[in-house]
Amino acid sequence: MRILLVEDEPSLRAALRRDLEGAGYVVDEADNGRDAQHLGDTEPFDAVLLDLGLPVVDGLTVLRRWREAGRTMPVLILTARDRWHEKVDGIDAGADDYLTKPFHTEELLARLRALIRRAQGLGSPLLRCGAITLDTRSQRVTLGSQPVSLTSHEYRLLAYLMHRPGQVVSRSELTEHLYAQDHDRDSNTIEVFVARLRRKLPPECIETVRGLGYRLVAP
Amino acid sequence: MKRLRSLRWRLLLATVAAGLLALALAGVLLAGLFRDQVMRQFGLALTAQLDQVTAALDIDARGEAHIDATTLSDPRWQRPLSGLYWQVDRRRPDGSWQRGLLRSRSLWDAELQAPQDLLADGSVHLHEAAGPAGARLLLAERSLHVGASGGDTANSDGGNGGAGPQGAPTWRLLVGADLHETDEAVQRFNGSLLASLALLLLLLAAAAIAQVRVGLAPLRGLQAALTALRQGRTSHLEGRFPTEVQPLIDDFNAVLDRHAEGIARARTQAGNLAHALKTPLAVMAQAAEAAQRPTQAAPATPTPGASAQELAGVVRQQVDVARRQVDRHLSRARAAAAREVPGARCAVEPLLAGLLRVMARVHAERGLQLHSEPIDAGCAFAGDAQDLQEMVGNLIDNACKWARQAVTLRARIAGGAEGARLQLQVDDDGPGIDPALRERALTRGERLDEAVPGSGLGLAIVQELAQLYGGQLTLGPSPAGGLRAELDLPAAPPAAP
Repeated sequence: MRILLVEDEPSLRAALRRDLEGAGYVVDEADNGRDAQHLGDTEPFDAVLLDLGLPVVDGLTVLRRWREAGRTMPVLILTARDRWHEKVDGIDAGADDYLTKPFHTEELLARLRALIRRAQGLGSPLLRCGAITLDTRSQRVTLGSQPVSLTSHEYRLLAYLMHRPGQVVSRSELTEHLYAQDHDRDSNTIEVFVARLRRKLPPECIETVRGLGYRLVAP
Repeated sequence: MKRLRSLRWRLLLATVAAGLLALALAGVLLAGLFRDQVMRQFGLALTAQLDQVTAALDIDARGEAHIDATTLSDPRWQRPLSGLYWQVDRRRPDGSWQRGLLRSRSLWDAELQAPQDLLADGSVHLHEAAGPAGARLLLAERSLHVGASGGDTANSDGGNGGAGPQGAPTWRLLVGADLHETDEAVQRFNGSLLASLALLLLLLAAAAIAQVRVGLAPLRGLQAALTALRQGRTSHLEGRFPTEVQPLIDDFNAVLDRHAEGIARARTQAGNLAHALKTPLAVMAQAAEAAQRPTQAAPATPTPGASAQELAGVVRQQVDVARRQVDRHLSRARAAAAREVPGARCAVEPLLAGLLRVMARVHAERGLQLHSEPIDAGCAFAGDAQDLQEMVGNLIDNACKWARQAVTLRARIAGGAEGARLQLQVDDDGPGIDPALRERALTRGERLDEAVPGSGLGLAIVQELAQLYGGQLTLGPSPAGGLRAELDLPAAPPAAP
């Protein structure tokens, strides 16, 4: 899952990045509104954490422009502005959730998980596909009742697929969502991770759709 | 266009335009009256001349008319084209007129052209007609029916109407006078009338200028006072101003006072906050020093890990203290800003709809049913929209935190047009608050449950804001099972149509 983190305060940005990466997300950063808007317009993100008081272009404007341009990724506003009329403005500009500073990291992560899940129309934080269960809160995967041990890359790949059961996901889409922008992308590594996942899980659960990509199916 | 923005020009323009209109009307009226008067005088004089001519008319036994010119004294009768003429016409039996039977010498070889009508016997008629040499004439005419055997006087049988006795010839006497002189008199009069009216207009304009200058002079004093204020030489607008302006000045001074008060209060608040934050900062600084000391002085004593753990605990605790102080001061600052603004009005329905949109997002994970009963469009709060949003937002947020499934809102207006109240209810189906604890829930900084995030200020802020508006927050049991928070606030009167 790839997250865009928009925050102009460097130390808070660094702390948030650490927390997000610790929770298994891939993070791209922007420290001003113009860069944020450009990234949001050109890269596919699974969620955006958006500060409102940004240099160059303020957060609400960025959000409105994204929504006008038809960008639908979930956006969580993260700001010190805590008056209710400001929250109404934020939600009406197209935000999906609103969290005021100071906040607890656990609450932020819980809300972020919920946002990503709801964006895929899933109701529970426990994702199931056949015998496979993925707990987005603890990042644990079980097969039946057996825990499955995954590396962070394997987990991210599986989590992305588990959020879209039955959908064909192309290799380039996976690359875009599993690596940050500045990462050296090599689509062959996707194949490697898919092969490793097939070894740890029932092999038939990840189908290869020739020429299109992969699909997670209930075995 | 720029000049139109100046009061002086506007007043002047209005005065001159009105004066111009009034004087033009007066001029037209006066000129008309004068002309009428002159024409009447002229007509009377002409009728007198006609009477003389009539008296001089003599009809002999053969029915021939003669005028005894010696009885006509006015020398103009004799001077050619003098401007005063007489003429005698006779009516032929076939009804046409034989013109110029007798004429004054002044007529020379011209004739007076009278209309082809037949007048009642003896009555006098005045017309304007063309005369010799293109002059405009006023004609007086009189018809006479005098038979050949008749006497030598006119007006024999006036009662007979237009038809004379059978066979008696009908005579018509005409006297004409040139209108040249009356025209001149009228023109002279009009000329002097125009001149005097123009002078009057100028005087009016000058009066208007003087009036505007005198009237607006106090504004210059006001400007000077404002300059003094801006330059910081005074803290008020000083001096007495005309009674029309003084209320404005008083209001302005009141606003200045209020601002000065506000600034003073803000300074105090900022100072209070700074002091309130100094304590946790000092505690943290001390803790940091304490954490450093053992590793430098005695490496054997407590492990760095333990002291880091301790330090983290202290920092966390003190940050919490600092955060509460900030929250407290922020809410106090907001409450201080909330004042009853006369005439302030905010519709409840759209505001609640906005809050419900936020709640639906922020509490999306809870899957709550947020529901507002239909609210009358005329339902409005007499105060600031943001304050109402702050109060109701906190109440709904609180209800959402505790509700199991549903939160319901109600708003209605109670009481008559005078002193109408806006009543808002927020019901949840959560655990509710024990009656003994409800009082505490409204106290600053009291948190009944530490498990749910929040600064513990929500309900207290609502209560404070409500009281600032002369309202009240009451907590009670809800029919839905949980807490019912009820806000009573001043309602705004219906919007003017």
